[in-house]
Amino acid sequence: MAPRIQSRSVSNLLPYLTSSSSTSSHIPSLCSSSQSSRHFSVTATQQTKLRRQMFEWLATQGAGLKHHTPGDTNYLRMADGSQSNRPFPNNSYFISEPVLSEELRNEVYVRVKEQNKSPRAVSVELGIDMNRIAAVGDPLALPYARAVHEMIPTTPLAQAGERQTYHEPINDLPVHPATGAQIFYPVPESRPFTRIDAGRVFSGAPMLEKKAADKISHPSDLAEDVLQKPSTIEWVGKGEKARQVLQPADVRIPHPQLVQLARDRAAFPEERRAVAQRHAERLERQEKAEKERAARTADRRKRSTETIKPTDSRFAFRIQDAVFTEQTVGKDGRAPWAPGRRYGVPRNDRTRGTVKIPTRVNV
Amino acid sequence: MRNRASNSLSKGKIRQSWSKYNLYNLQRLRSPATANRTFFQQKWTAKALGRAYHGEQVREGQWKRMFSKRIRSVIPMDTSDLAADDGSKISAGRGSGLQNQEKGRPSKIIPYTQMAFAPLERRLDVAIFRSLFASSTRQARQFVIHGAVTVNGQKMRHPSYLLNPGDLFQVDPERVMFATGATKTKFERRETRQLKQKDEKDEDSEEAAEAKSEEATETKPEGEKEDGRDTLKALMSQAKNIMSTDKDVLPAKRKQELRGFQKAVRRVLSRSGTSTILTDNLEAQFSELTLMLNAKRAEKKPAKQSKQQSNSEESDSAAAVTEETEVASDKLSEAFQAAAEGADVDASELSDEEFEILKRALTQMRDNPIDHSKPYATPWRPRDYMSAFAFIPRYLEVNQNICAAVYLRHPVARPGSAEVPTPFGESINTPAYGWYLKRRW
Repeated sequence: MAPRIQSRSVSNLLPYLTSSSSTSSHIPSLCSSSQSSRHFSVTATQQTKLRRQMFEWLATQGAGLKHHTPGDTNYLRMADGSQSNRPFPNNSYFISEPVLSEELRNEVYVRVKEQNKSPRAVSVELGIDMNRIAAVGDPLALPYARAVHEMIPTTPLAQAGERQTYHEPINDLPVHPATGAQIFYPVPESRPFTRIDAGRVFSGAPMLEKKAADKISHPSDLAEDVLQKPSTIEWVGKGEKARQVLQPADVRIPHPQLVQLARDRAAFPEERRAVAQRHAERLERQEKAEKERAARTADRRKRSTETIKPTDSRFAFRIQDAVFTEQTVGKDGRAPWAPGRRYGVPRNDRTRGTVKIPTRVNV
Repeated sequence: MRNRASNSLSKGKIRQSWSKYNLYNLQRLRSPATANRTFFQQKWTAKALGRAYHGEQVREGQWKRMFSKRIRSVIPMDTSDLAADDGSKISAGRGSGLQNQEKGRPSKIIPYTQMAFAPLERRLDVAIFRSLFASSTRQARQFVIHGAVTVNGQKMRHPSYLLNPGDLFQVDPERVMFATGATKTKFERRETRQLKQKDEKDEDSEEAAEAKSEEATETKPEGEKEDGRDTLKALMSQAKNIMSTDKDVLPAKRKQELRGFQKAVRRVLSRSGTSTILTDNLEAQFSELTLMLNAKRAEKKPAKQSKQQSNSEESDSAAAVTEETEVASDKLSEAFQAAAEGADVDASELSDEEFEILKRALTQMRDNPIDHSKPYATPWRPRDYMSAFAFIPRYLEVNQNICAAVYLRHPVARPGSAEVPTPFGESINTPAYGWYLKRRW
């Protein structure tokens, strides 16, 4: 065993320890000072070239990135030295998009919660996605929130009389996987080929009969029918391959009523009031249908938790809450016929292949 | 899980972190060389770089199971275009319209492969980092494991929980302030230690506890003779400095101003009618102060008189107190000097706008007090280099006030942009996407 350092020399160590701990917070560009404090090191501790370069960069070009200017973004500069709203200079496709400003968020809150407007109407008024409208919550102040809003772009609330700038596109059409295929489909030139027909081709449905096709003047005519009665959508294919016919974009966008409004405006440019009236009626019908559908879904979910009827079964199982009495769970509550978790009995999630991480959290 | 994700300079890998090392690496990132390298080598390098940033805390096998070759995308539709044409114009002739459309906008490509790592954005720890609630994904992960995060109101301890559209997650605001706030200096740390020691000492007697509470609010009767209007003017100038958006004002300077401002506000409060106002909570103090200010603005002359009366009373009582406090900040002392020289200042000089600024400064002071018991530097300020990483993707709706965010939908690509925040360009993401396809390119 190698001889240990004697106690005398250990006491000599103490000043070294204290001095090093105080210099450690220094910027390591002053490496000459740390050299003298190291009594035992054979070689002088050298800062690596990379570290030196980094601190040089942080002191010169990167110095502006340390603190932000309120109300301005402060991202890395692009290769040509220009400042932009792209946080990553190498990725030209990622843009730091504005978030809702505090005033705009409060305005949404006021319109939905206090003025009782529908999320659909507020979405069109302010140009905010309907999901985002639903997510706006109660206010409470913090310095952190203020600092973050100084660093990132925000969409301001328009002053009275000004037109509100749209926060984001509200009529995004999700690209359906069925439309990924390239299909060669010959059509007679004499026959108009509309978005409805394209959807049918993509989902492999036969062409519409002439009588049915003549009834539809524009694909947006389908929107209201589908919304009122989603079961009117046609099905194609058998068994597992059964699928609904792909609907035209006019139906699948979040705000189909805006297409009908644009059509009305083009057809009756003089009758502004009548057009607005029809639009309001349409909106009302739409909201009513949505509410009814939500109620029906909730009702169905409630019924399905109370009663379960497996397919291919003659039986329906009624499910009731467990009752914890001496008869149902035994004297000690651990009778073999008792429901729920019992001490000594391994839980089901210990079996192989069972994942314990929840997949959803219900509100 | 051991953290192998170092920010080494020699490797130059980019991490989901706000570290300055990471910033430097990000700045010097260049597309990897492709000349003299096989396609396999190119893909290998690309996926290694990509995975160092996207879900380095996720095992490779786990990520492979998550990967999906199907990429979500949307096309923003123009309702007037939809209304103008039912599709037959475009499909006329040989299937691409009878004549070339003149108005055709320059069509942008949809950057599909920039979305290669999109499934990882669903993870709870990544979403917390993206909402700017943590300074790195590792830290976000720690917050989840330590029980500081709730999903839909229930505590969630699994960082790998995959958020569903509409899920609301919330992080303990104190943790967020710690994660995003500047670190303490050694002087602040010393003050924290002293505070802690004092707390331990004072636990013995009740009297000491009272003294401590007084110390904590730093309430000391002032022995100076001041004019109320001057105090107000000094308050005003400091408030302006605090609220100024001028980048020339250094953070340290601003902090100094804030301290002085705080003291001045206390001095004004000590003059108010109620004697318990200084020991009251901040809310009550604030309302009292704003009440006094508002009254002064509404009825100028009588308010001034009453102010002077109260001042004379104050000076009488204050004369008994011989204790002299430390010097206030230079702005305030200047104002006091002006008052001593007999310069007359009118309180009516303050316009509505100035009152508004003063009010805002007061609010800020109330929200952001100096408190050495906190684990971050107070008053809170963002940590260094945070602004270079500050952005919030569109698929999240974040409310910083309550440190809560909603995962609105899955990230999507659209013409010209992709919502997955990735520091890499197509030269890295495309080969990485190809690597993870089941039928590899």
